[in-house]
Amino acid sequence: MRLYTASSEETLRARKLLTDWAADGILTKAQYERLEQGTISELRTTNIFLRLVLFLFTLISVGGAVALFFVVSRPSEQTSGGLFLIFAALCYAAAELVVSQARLYRYGIEEALAVCSVGFLCAGMQTLFFNGSFSSKPNAAEFLVPAAGAIFSLWVWRRFGLWYTFLAAMVFAIFLPGYWTSSHLAQHVTIAVFYAAGLICVAAARPHHHFDHLADAYSLVEAFLWLGIYLAINLQLSSLNLRTQWLGIGATTASEFARPFYWATWVLIWCLPPLVLARGIRQKDRFVIAVGAIVTILTFVSNKPYLGWPQHTWDPMLLGVLLTGVALFIRRWLARGPSGVRYGFTAARLSGKEKYWMNAGSAVLGLVSPQSITPTRPTSSPDFRFGGGTSGGGGAGGEF
Amino acid sequence: MNILARLEHWKKEGAISPEQHAFLASLSRGEPFSLSFELNVLLYAGVLAFVAGLGWTVTTWSQQIGDVLVLTVLSTLLAACSWYCFSRAPAWSPAETPGPSPVFDYVLYLGTLVWCVELAYLENRFHVLSGQWDLYLLATAGLFFFLAYRFDNRFVLSLALSSLAGWFGLTISHWPSHQDAAYRQYALFYCLLVGVGGVLLQRRGLKPHFFGTYLNIVANVLFWALLSGVFNRQGYGLWFLALLIACGASLAWGLTRRQFAFVAYAAVYGYVGVSSMFLRGVFDDTVVLSYFVLTGVAMLVVLVQIARRFGRPA
Repeated sequence: MRLYTASSEETLRARKLLTDWAADGILTKAQYERLEQGTISELRTTNIFLRLVLFLFTLISVGGAVALFFVVSRPSEQTSGGLFLIFAALCYAAAELVVSQARLYRYGIEEALAVCSVGFLCAGMQTLFFNGSFSSKPNAAEFLVPAAGAIFSLWVWRRFGLWYTFLAAMVFAIFLPGYWTSSHLAQHVTIAVFYAAGLICVAAARPHHHFDHLADAYSLVEAFLWLGIYLAINLQLSSLNLRTQWLGIGATTASEFARPFYWATWVLIWCLPPLVLARGIRQKDRFVIAVGAIVTILTFVSNKPYLGWPQHTWDPMLLGVLLTGVALFIRRWLARGPSGVRYGFTAARLSGKEKYWMNAGSAVLGLVSPQSITPTRPTSSPDFRFGGGTSGGGGAGGEF
Repeated sequence: MNILARLEHWKKEGAISPEQHAFLASLSRGEPFSLSFELNVLLYAGVLAFVAGLGWTVTTWSQQIGDVLVLTVLSTLLAACSWYCFSRAPAWSPAETPGPSPVFDYVLYLGTLVWCVELAYLENRFHVLSGQWDLYLLATAGLFFFLAYRFDNRFVLSLALSSLAGWFGLTISHWPSHQDAAYRQYALFYCLLVGVGGVLLQRRGLKPHFFGTYLNIVANVLFWALLSGVFNRQGYGLWFLALLIACGASLAWGLTRRQFAFVAYAAVYGYVGVSSMFLRGVFDDTVVLSYFVLTGVAMLVVLVQIARRFGRPA
């Protein structure tokens, strides 16, 4: 099913690890050069910047070509739908072709073609079968559009290994229950069940991929699914009826739910974070641990709205103290273990790559932090003008 | 053959020593598993949440709790952070210096962000330099530059550069609505100052690893400024020429130094600028779309050639 052979991907992975180990000084230059010769892959890959730019220009070219075709030929709506489906097939065939012939791997071009094929498929189905417009009372059969989008995105994920198409499939799945039931409760439950079913499948598949090239891919997908389940059951955070909201018909509010369901979800948002964290720690899975931490923070943030308690301005301070305290405690606890290791975990940095990402991240965050922490100008009191923070580092500007 | 099997094979071949094999195999199995990155992110989020809450509380409750208490709390926090940083910092060195402890950087972040909150509070309550807010920004930029170089911290360097940009009247959030000539000139002067400053500091060997931060910020501000000139209705010729020169320089720098972010800047900013020139006054959909198809394909061909020749993952 996968477009790339396992040996090709393993070779690429080994090559990447060799580069990291050589950069960290674990391998000598001579060793690196010798071992590198044994990790030559027929797959053609590139760096992240060129990958992004190639993706962008492929989108421009394909989008421009399709739009030009429609402008020149001016087809009817029914014909347009058929043409979109043809373009979807052409894009997908082109994506397969550039991989099989040019052996492109995460090169931007094949990715953009695959993404375009998903988009054109949905546009084609919507135009061909449902006259191309969304109405406030959708046709029940319209669920076929997001269903096809989800299935095709999953296929692209399996075939090309593009993580974001799995995310796209999860997003498509959000729209499905809206066509089947108007009950928001049922919609939340359906989506959570979808994601839970996906999670069971992924959890069943993962043990076969320990330490191989698919381990990270499955780890990421599992993390997405945990996050999806959490967002589906946290009624204070999830806005599942996105389609309705976009059309301005009205949003779902927590008070619309039956009280037993509402309080059951409150219990679940407290149960899920420890479960996710425990799973991540047990599996030593970085992405699942990260999602565990995120959903824990989200639970703290949404607890007061859930209970209907008033929020205080100092709540973020308490959260900050808690996060810092937990981080410091874990760091010290791990550092005091034998050789700085406890239960197979360490707080020490083992890879130079982490330092690179921290440096890059801190430089970017330094530019955006003042905007995010500076309080906004209160509108109720015109005399008191503390606020603003639109001008960078000093967190201040003319609005102050 | 997964990486563990491959390591075993390399050991048998004698390409790596048994010690290297043991170390790399345990690293590949995640034994031990490093939580360093996660703990750093948690610390950063904690500091940011704390200062956000502090700013929100001060804004909301300052009139009830009084200026004296607010300033005392903020000043105490600032003094504590400063004391911690100056008492724990290692001797200054012009080279890259690791922090003395894992939490050192976060105490420094806390101090710098509290400084921002306190300064804003002081000015808004007491109007000490009323109407001269730019001087605060300049002083803040100066202080942050000093702290960045003293404690070798990229985050504070970014704060300094954005404060300096603020002093020049340059704010990212204001870009879309202020594309006038004066604004552009300030942006260019900012680029000149920061760029020349960065080069001089690097040549003198003062924290040369900061140079990448300078260069990325200068490149982006410069390209935005030049693009805004190209979008002018009149007198855009020189700006267009300057954009082409900047793109050429960025491309050459990116390819020779293998810093492909600059290749991406040249491709994207250059394409936007050239497209705006070619499509100026063109309203025929067919022509516009044909342009995008042809130029998109042309860009792909050029970029694929670049990627083949230079763009292997580092």
